[in-house]
Amino acid sequence: MSESVDTPESGGGAKEQERFLPIANIGRIMRRGVPENGKIAKDAKESIQECVSEFISFMTSEASDKCMKEKRKTINGDDLIWSMGTLGFEDYVEPLKLYLKLYREMEGDTSKGSQSGKKEVVLNGQPGSSFNGM
Amino acid sequence: MRLARPYSGVFRGGATARTGPHAMPLARIKKIMKRSAGDGSGADGAGARMISVEAPVVFSRACELLVAELTRAAWAATLEGKRRTMHREDVAQAVRDTDLFDFLVDVVKDDGGDAGAGGREGLLAPVPGRHVDDDGALD
Repeated sequence: MSESVDTPESGGGAKEQERFLPIANIGRIMRRGVPENGKIAKDAKESIQECVSEFISFMTSEASDKCMKEKRKTINGDDLIWSMGTLGFEDYVEPLKLYLKLYREMEGDTSKGSQSGKKEVVLNGQPGSSFNGM
Repeated sequence: MRLARPYSGVFRGGATARTGPHAMPLARIKKIMKRSAGDGSGADGAGARMISVEAPVVFSRACELLVAELTRAAWAATLEGKRRTMHREDVAQAVRDTDLFDFLVDVVKDDGGDAGAGGREGLLAPVPGRHVDDDGALD
């Protein structure tokens, strides 16, 4: 999977923007949720950016704690889905299970030497690990 | 050339090929996760957590759902204010009005750039220049 291109964005340097998902992606999804003649100010998009990052952090922490208790080193998709279900996002569980299922099937389908099963990315280890076949 | 697949409707992705089939860039998600996935300094010896490849995939979809839900709730606040432009305060209202979003209360707090996120781990400590005033660019 190729790295997303970091387009220049206002509000700070590249380093700050790495704390958030790209405002263009966020904005695109937001647009689908408002009527045609509705407008979305930039500050609203930025606020949602911050919320999304906090959501990722929160869920990741929970999943990380779970892995620690179960003496597992790797946070996987199921851990995240579990965390969300536990923290009130039950409505997300089924759609995410489906999404994960389809993703796993797709990965198996396009295998060009890709192994099925987990690929692990070391957090504090070497950079340059890449995702397979996105 | 991307082959049509029966599930291709699920992977709507972005408008360009850059981000691949998912709505959000997986590498960026991974970066954000790394900040929270155990830093090795836990008293119980919690070491760095590794992240499976599929974890950011799950988040890509989850974040899409979250953005959609927050947007819908924020838009309701916009309409309540008899406006047609969504602003930051509408997002803040949506967070206040929804129990599920309690964890976001500090994140959306608009107190002029002070450490509104001080109660958390400081992940989203405000950065100077981040706030725009109400005349911020319209969509």
